[in-house]
Amino acid sequence: MRIRAERDDLADVLARAGRAVSTRSPLPILQGILLEVSGGRLTVTGTDNEVTVRTYLEVEVTEDGRSVIPARLAAEAVRKLPVGAVTLASNEGEMEITGGGPRFRLREMVADDFPKISDVAMDDSIQVDGGQLIRALSQVGIAASTDDARPTLTGVLFEGEGDSLRLVATDSYRLGVRDLDGIKTEGSKIVPYRALRELGRTIGSGSMSILLGDREAAFVTADGRLTVRVIDATFPNYGQLLPDGHSNRLTVDKEALLEAVGRAALVAEDHIPVRLAMHAGGVELNVVRQEVGEETEFLEGEYVGDDMTIAFNTRYLTDGVNAVDDEKIVIETSDPLKPGLLHGAEKTDFQYLLMPVRL
Amino acid sequence: MDVPGILHADLDAFYAAVAVLENPSLVGKAVAVGSGVVLSCTYEAREFGVRGGMRVVDARARCPHLILVEGVFGSYTEYSRTVFDIFESYTPFVEPLSIDEAFLDVTGSVHLFGSPADIARRIRRDVRKQTGLAVSVGVTGRKFLSKIASQVAKPDGMIVVQPGQELEFLHPLQVSHLWGVGPVTERKLGELGLETIGDIATTPIDALIAMLGSAAAHHLHALANNHDPRPVERTRRARSVGAQSALRPERRTMEDLLPILQRLTDRVASRLRAKGRSARTVTVRVRFGDLSSVTRSATVRSPTASTAALMAIERRLLQKVLDRYPKHEITLLGVSTSGLGFDEPIQLAFDVDDDALGGGTPHEIGSRALDESVDEVRRRFGRDILAHGSDLLSERTDFSDGLAEVMIKDD
Repeated sequence: MRIRAERDDLADVLARAGRAVSTRSPLPILQGILLEVSGGRLTVTGTDNEVTVRTYLEVEVTEDGRSVIPARLAAEAVRKLPVGAVTLASNEGEMEITGGGPRFRLREMVADDFPKISDVAMDDSIQVDGGQLIRALSQVGIAASTDDARPTLTGVLFEGEGDSLRLVATDSYRLGVRDLDGIKTEGSKIVPYRALRELGRTIGSGSMSILLGDREAAFVTADGRLTVRVIDATFPNYGQLLPDGHSNRLTVDKEALLEAVGRAALVAEDHIPVRLAMHAGGVELNVVRQEVGEETEFLEGEYVGDDMTIAFNTRYLTDGVNAVDDEKIVIETSDPLKPGLLHGAEKTDFQYLLMPVRL
Repeated sequence: MDVPGILHADLDAFYAAVAVLENPSLVGKAVAVGSGVVLSCTYEAREFGVRGGMRVVDARARCPHLILVEGVFGSYTEYSRTVFDIFESYTPFVEPLSIDEAFLDVTGSVHLFGSPADIARRIRRDVRKQTGLAVSVGVTGRKFLSKIASQVAKPDGMIVVQPGQELEFLHPLQVSHLWGVGPVTERKLGELGLETIGDIATTPIDALIAMLGSAAAHHLHALANNHDPRPVERTRRARSVGAQSALRPERRTMEDLLPILQRLTDRVASRLRAKGRSARTVTVRVRFGDLSSVTRSATVRSPTASTAALMAIERRLLQKVLDRYPKHEITLLGVSTSGLGFDEPIQLAFDVDDDALGGGTPHEIGSRALDESVDEVRRRFGRDILAHGSDLLSERTDFSDGLAEVMIKDD
């Protein structure tokens, strides 16, 4: 193969596809990216056998071909060349990368060893605004587990609900639920969040097609495609966790609450909770860490309900408050040992359910 | 003002002494406990140069008539408990250092039992009478000094250092008596001609710093001048609680090992609960026929002392070991818990996941009621009144029930 393209364009497609590559992969071939040139187009594929990212670039082609080269090194080499045109030329087992003077020669890997990955047909796909989906995923994604021992919980549930798509994630301590109206889909699939969090950085946030297949989920934009193996499991019955109604309702300013919890978190270690003592007129936040000290402050707000004190992990609370996209935030509670529900005062399409800490 | 009385009480050749007590035919003989490595040996064996930590082969080379016996760990805990009960009958300020030694602050007990030296005598007498074991005691006003005194007093002796006479006692002793002086430091000191503790005390601190670095130099210089302000800490926190069981070398399946794991877990978990602790990190250790061993650990978000919750974690860890080493003969199974908290807040969890591990899950919260009942029944009727069905139904494949040793480590 032999092609020519602008440095920045080439560096971009290499880097985005390279994000699917695990540098710790036990299979050397998976530390490479596959370059394929045909029909005036360069296709770059990176994969870790679970997540695959494919990017495309229109290039000046002298010769078609296929080649696998080290992902990280190739992307960095191109990025560090002087600005301007870059030439990639494969010759006798080496890929020559040149532009503006410098010349890299990278040993090629055996292209036939690279996993065969065919593109799933995007029939029956649903159309979404990529930017909106990515924002919604980041809201629920904070509640997804990162513990590989509990694979089901590392995914986000995509669930069709009438005329809306519902996204759900939980690590068993908190639960995020986001409804995206006007997106019609059926059935439900669990998609690993570690792949979803890469959507924006790999295939961009333009108009997006989604296909939720039995084995794979595919996300396609004009900039590329990301496919990921879906998690074959039954998602927890989260519906039973969502309360019918809470007796107590606190409404406070989101930014003020974030700052207050941020100060409390300074004193708290990860496992030390912040206490929220709620009463008419607002909430008192208090955190005590033995042998270190404490922090207390009062936050004005509206409170309807019985006086109550409940304690939350500061990080989990911060995550939830951050994810609510509204100026005022509502915390609904019923019992110090039962979960609290966070949502916006106006916007209720995102709900964050958080288990308390028992003191 | 009270006379400061800090005792260091140390059982003489504890493991070996217990072995002799349990088998009177060994009295007066050179006996060592251990397999592979000498854990402990009688003074008769020490006369031939046998020492703890020595390889059995080397020990036999020095003492061909050495009698080697297996440890009986259940008995050790029993004896140890009796001895510590005696300590605690004289003062509440008992700081255990290990299964066979402790610091005691008896300053507040003199009006009840007489001078610190009197108390030391009574303790030695009680221990001898109730267990048959010899305990050596150092009696001084400082922890490190009492520890040195008890070592000098061995075997079966006691040394009292009166206030004002500390330096007189300390300075002629070899440097190796000081805490923190191992073979390497001892050699370094020897190269400079520093052989006794008095030599260190009279060496300018700068010279010591040049040789040993600042921390070690200040430490040794302070001790050599009898500075050690540390109080006896009754509440000294255990850093880990564990139990292990030696097994006949055999290949074993999960099914074979589960009853043993259950028994070890039962001991560890009830021990944790008795101390009011819960653990965040759980470690499973497996030793193979070739004496190599592997460990697998897991840390959970919320600490737990629930038998069921700990068992679930350990089972998963043990499975990992068995998957990795399916064909190895297993000679020891151990579990250990660390990251111990006291009365910690518990992050509660939803009931979403049967695989959830650690504290705060609905399953774990539910199992606490059972644990409490089991603990209460055992408190009233004795530990053996309750056992797991798997334990009762399984064939005993470990050496003996008493072999499970509960280990509590401070460091």
